[in-house]
Amino acid sequence: MPARSRTAARTKSRRPDTSALESAVVVPSPSAKRFFGRGIPGEEVAKLNGKLIVVEGADGSGRSTQISRLVQWLEGTGHATLQVGLKRSTLVSEELEQAQHGNILSRTTLSLFYATDFADQMENAILPALRAGFMVLADRYIYTLMARDLVRGMDEAWLKNLYGIALVPDAVFYLDVRPEQLVQRVFAKNQALDYWESGMDLGLSRDMFDSFLKYQALMRDSFRRLQKTYAFSIVDGERPASEVSDELKEKIEAVLEGR
Amino acid sequence: MKRTFAELGFPGRLIAVEGLDGSGKSTQVHLLKKWLEQQGCKVFFSEWNSSALVKSATSKGKKQNLLTPTTFSLIHATDFADRYERQLVPLLRAGYVVLCDRYIFTAFARDVVRGCPPDWVRGVYSFAALPDITFFFRADLEVSLARILDNRPVLKHHEAGMDMNLSTDPYESFRIFQGRIFEQYLAMSTEFGFTLVDANARIEEQQGLVRKLVQARIGIDRYSHGRPD
Repeated sequence: MPARSRTAARTKSRRPDTSALESAVVVPSPSAKRFFGRGIPGEEVAKLNGKLIVVEGADGSGRSTQISRLVQWLEGTGHATLQVGLKRSTLVSEELEQAQHGNILSRTTLSLFYATDFADQMENAILPALRAGFMVLADRYIYTLMARDLVRGMDEAWLKNLYGIALVPDAVFYLDVRPEQLVQRVFAKNQALDYWESGMDLGLSRDMFDSFLKYQALMRDSFRRLQKTYAFSIVDGERPASEVSDELKEKIEAVLEGR
Repeated sequence: MKRTFAELGFPGRLIAVEGLDGSGKSTQVHLLKKWLEQQGCKVFFSEWNSSALVKSATSKGKKQNLLTPTTFSLIHATDFADRYERQLVPLLRAGYVVLCDRYIFTAFARDVVRGCPPDWVRGVYSFAALPDITFFFRADLEVSLARILDNRPVLKHHEAGMDMNLSTDPYESFRIFQGRIFEQYLAMSTEFGFTLVDANARIEEQQGLVRKLVQARIGIDRYSHGRPD
C-alpha cells in the first residue's frame, strides 16, 4: 500500500541507526505501569509489557484517521496492535445503545453504565493485550467520559475515584479542533449533527447548530481543565492529517524507546 | 461526610432494612408497610431488583460468566443509580416514607467480600444519601443459613458466591460467602449507626420494636395523605 511505504520511508529517515537493517524490529523498552487509583483487584501491573496509547478528541477531530495511520505504521514496524474504544464491551454495549436512543437514564446512571462498559473492556481486552505485549490503541478513554460528565455537573472527586480502576496510559493525545472547524468537518462527512455530540440533553439551545457549538466549546474547556491534572499532550488537530500523524509517531517512538 | 435525607432537608424519609438472606427482614418490612398504610401514610416499598435495561445486561453477564468483581459492582451500582434517581429521590422530594429492602450496605458488604477496595466501593455510591433509619436484622448465621438451605433451593452462581472459588459445592460456597458478608455487616454496624434488631426473637416482638422506633425517630403523622406539613 502506498500509505505504508511512505510511512516507512519517513520513519527510516528519522532513525538512521536502524536504516541499515530493513528487517530490524525495535523491542519496546519496559515502562513502569500504574493505575490511577486502586486499580483492578488482583491485577499485577509488572506483567503488562505492552503500551497503552490513547487518542482523544471530538467526533470529526480526526481520531479514527490517526488511529488507522498509527496501526499501519506500528504493524509495519513489527508491533502487534489492538484497537479499543468506548461502547464496545460485550457486557453492556447493546444496552448502552438502547439507553441512548430512548434518553431514559439520568446522569449518574448513564455515567455508571459507561464506567461498566469501560471496566469490562479494561479487564477483558486492554489488560490481556498488554500482558501479551501488544500496542493497545484506545479510540477515546476515561478523559472523554470524565469531560462529558463534568460538563453535566458531576462531581470531579467522584469521577476520580470511579476511574481509579483505569490504567495510566503510556501516551495520551488530545486532538484539539475548534468547534467552528469541527462543525464543518462533521457536515462534510455526515450532513447531520448527532444528538449527543450536540449536547442536546443539556438544553443549551433548542437550535441544534447553536447547541453543538456551545456544547463542543464546553467539552474543549473541560478537556483543558483535565489536562492540568492529567498532563496529556494537546495536539493541534486542525493541521493536515499527515502533519498530525508525524507528531504522534515522533512522540510514540519516544515512548517505545523509553525516553 | 455523608448525610441522611433528613439532614439534607428532604421532606420524605428513607428506612432501609439490611441483613442476610433468611434473616426475616423482608417479612418485617412487609409488616411495617402494612402498618404505615393503615396509619394513612404516604409509603412506598422499593425492592432490590432491576430495571429492564440493566436486567438485560446483568443476566447476560451472569449467564456468560462475564462478570468480574469490578464489573459486578459497577453494573449493580448502575442499577441502583437508576432506581435512586428516577424513583427514590422524586418520592422523597414528594414527602413519602420510602422503605428499602436492602440499600447501599448490601453492595458494600458483597463487593468488598468479592475483593473490591472498600473506599472505592463507598466512593462509587457516594451520590446516595444515608437512610434516616437502617434496621439490621441480626440472626445467628446458622439460623439464616438453615432458613435458606433447608429446602435445598437451586442457588444461582453469583448468589452462592461460586465466582470466588470458595468451594466446588454450591451449598458450602454459600455458607462461606454468607459468613463473610455477615462479618462485613457487623464491621459496618457502628460506622453507619445501624439499629440492631434481634432476628432470633419472635416476629411480633421484632415488629413491635420496629414500629416503636419508627414512631419515635421519624414520627408518622407528618407523612399522612392530604395533610400538608
